[in-house]
Amino acid sequence: MNGLRIERRGAPSAALVWGVSLGAVAVAMLGTGLLFAAFGVAPLEAARVIVERTILDARGASEVVRRAIPLMLAGVGLTLAFRARFWNIGAEGQLLIGAVAAAGVALFVDLPGVLTIPAMFVVGFLAAAAWGLGPALLKVRLGVNEIITTLMLNYVAIYLVRWLVNGPWKGSSLSGFAYSDRFDAAAILPTIGTTRLHWPTLVLAVLAAVAVAWLLARTRFGFEVRMMGESPEAARYAGVDFFRTTLILVLVSAGAAGLAGVGEVAGIHHRLVDPGSLSIGYGYTAIIVALLARRNALAALVTALFLGWVAASGDVMQVALRLPSQITGVVQGLVLLCIIAAEPILEYRLVRAPRRAATPPDAAGPEAT
Amino acid sequence: MRRILMSLAALVALAFATAQDDPLKVAFIYVGPVGDYGFSYAHDLGRQATQEHFGDAIETVYVEDVPEPEVEAFIDQLVADGADVIFGTSFGYGDGILAAAQRYPDVIFGWGTGISRAPNVLTYMADFYQVYYLNGLIAAALSESGDLGYVAAFPIAEVKRHINGFTLGAREVNPDAEVAVRWLYNWFDPAGATEASEALMANGADVLAFTEDTPTVIQVAADRGYPGFSHYASMVEFAPDHVASGQLVHWDTIYIDILEKVLDGTYTTTNLEDVDYFWLLEQGAVELGSEPGVPVAEPFVDDLREVVIDHPEFGEIDVYELVLERRDQMAQGRDVFEPFMGPLEDRNGNLVYEDGYMPTLEDLLSMEFAVPGVVGPWDNEPQ
Repeated sequence: MNGLRIERRGAPSAALVWGVSLGAVAVAMLGTGLLFAAFGVAPLEAARVIVERTILDARGASEVVRRAIPLMLAGVGLTLAFRARFWNIGAEGQLLIGAVAAAGVALFVDLPGVLTIPAMFVVGFLAAAAWGLGPALLKVRLGVNEIITTLMLNYVAIYLVRWLVNGPWKGSSLSGFAYSDRFDAAAILPTIGTTRLHWPTLVLAVLAAVAVAWLLARTRFGFEVRMMGESPEAARYAGVDFFRTTLILVLVSAGAAGLAGVGEVAGIHHRLVDPGSLSIGYGYTAIIVALLARRNALAALVTALFLGWVAASGDVMQVALRLPSQITGVVQGLVLLCIIAAEPILEYRLVRAPRRAATPPDAAGPEAT
Repeated sequence: MRRILMSLAALVALAFATAQDDPLKVAFIYVGPVGDYGFSYAHDLGRQATQEHFGDAIETVYVEDVPEPEVEAFIDQLVADGADVIFGTSFGYGDGILAAAQRYPDVIFGWGTGISRAPNVLTYMADFYQVYYLNGLIAAALSESGDLGYVAAFPIAEVKRHINGFTLGAREVNPDAEVAVRWLYNWFDPAGATEASEALMANGADVLAFTEDTPTVIQVAADRGYPGFSHYASMVEFAPDHVASGQLVHWDTIYIDILEKVLDGTYTTTNLEDVDYFWLLEQGAVELGSEPGVPVAEPFVDDLREVVIDHPEFGEIDVYELVLERRDQMAQGRDVFEPFMGPLEDRNGNLVYEDGYMPTLEDLLSMEFAVPGVVGPWDNEPQ
């Protein structure tokens, strides 16, 4: 008698990864279409309008990329941390700290104009890296769970920003509203034309992705990171310095999120603003970016663009399709749900199993990663 | 070829013809959901009334829950959708509106609660300070302890103006009244508002007022049987027997006035640099009442009538009469009665307005001091 059995797959092939990921997105789109239909909006017409306004329209496209920039930087950093199975949930806080540090430079440090922007990025990177240091040390020295510590530090960062804009850094020209004063022109990033696309941060994001990919693939450090992630026991046996490697990878991961924060204040807000406005959950969405990219830094650029597009589509749904604002969140949730739900397909497979034979789990497919 | 040209010409003509008949397309951008029972809800009631007033002459649309830094992206979409006039209702939309206004010089923008303008950007505000003053009269008359509580969102000039007005009113009825203030540092924080209300009542307050965007304070006060006040729109349903009065807004009076002037060509995309609406009781932009048309809720009218004071201006008068007198005075204009008329001292004893000084709009918009009777921390207080 033959039955069906679930068993673990080996590393899935690239084709399978792509197929399943795109399949998940397709299922989500189908669900979205049904949702639209339920609201009396013709799904295909809706799709046409969304594509027309977000991809075919120059300004709409610029908004997609603009939203993807912080997701790229924070997401690329997370791919590195996740490779070593350091579950950094603190990108949101690290992003905010980078923004705070950059705003501090912009508001209070008198530098020659050309140095202001580079100084903001450097200081933002360092401050965010330092913010990540605590959880890293606690994890490698005391074994404290980094999911908890990085997550909790997000709230500390949120309240720090809130305190600053309500207290010592509150602007003088805003009838008491909680924003800092506007940065000087030297502290504001250039954009492409009249769009809000602050291209220097975009360039930085692409460079960061290339750098992280290179680190992982071509350096001893990268090899150690991968080994720590895939087989900590083997890494220990091989003499990997967990302390040093963890510290470096967390500094880079948190620092990248910090750069995203610098880009947001210097490119979009031009002042320090309430944390809820500063980052609309970019640090959390970046987790999805990194996981969806299967912890591949270069792929994170693509997944960041995809999630940036989903967010930008939300505006169109509200304005052009007259859907309620809550539907944006529902659609985004649907996309993420489908992607996460598809995950087991990559890890497990159904086999027709005669009672006696058990396929050895490692016998499946070629190595993909 | 000629046929193509002809049909093209026909198309162009058709486009022009429909353009002529097209209603003025007016878009509203709200910072919260329209169901918030606060700021955005009140704006949307105003939008609906405006639409009704103009009928087919305008077409209104709204987007809700728009984060402040995303307002530019929404403006892009609304302009692509053909919006002629766009109202952004939140202070934090300013940077985005002013930037978008440069990019879309053919669109008229209104920045609600805003502070700076442009050739195609006007600012508008319906201010409650006079109504808070009236609520202060009522609160002091209803309080047995003379201790009033105030739950406040942010220590900004607008809210300080509200608290000061409320306190001036309270002290006009009871010179010993004190108003204890708790700050939330948030516009929407039901948990924080609950905590603040409980703390105020634990310290003896038996009437609560507030400036924040939820009906929480009313509900918490009602649990103890204490009265509260509606904010923006009627909140009677949240505590049917405990809403004494309140401050109600009619944004539609402002929206209708603006749009009438847009339709008749008074306002264009080049002459709005100096157009700033700061509308009060006089223009009907705000109203005293627990719900529209009810200045003081029925059960409380008798309570107010029972409190008779010796008033320097009106002599022996009961507080219900006093409230209506003052309301009608202010409805005639600020020059008839102005709560902040000098001489006015702050709580540190500084003379802020000389005898006979009528505070200007600038003075009101930059009010930082606290009047005597206000108790509690006060950011940026002049010493």
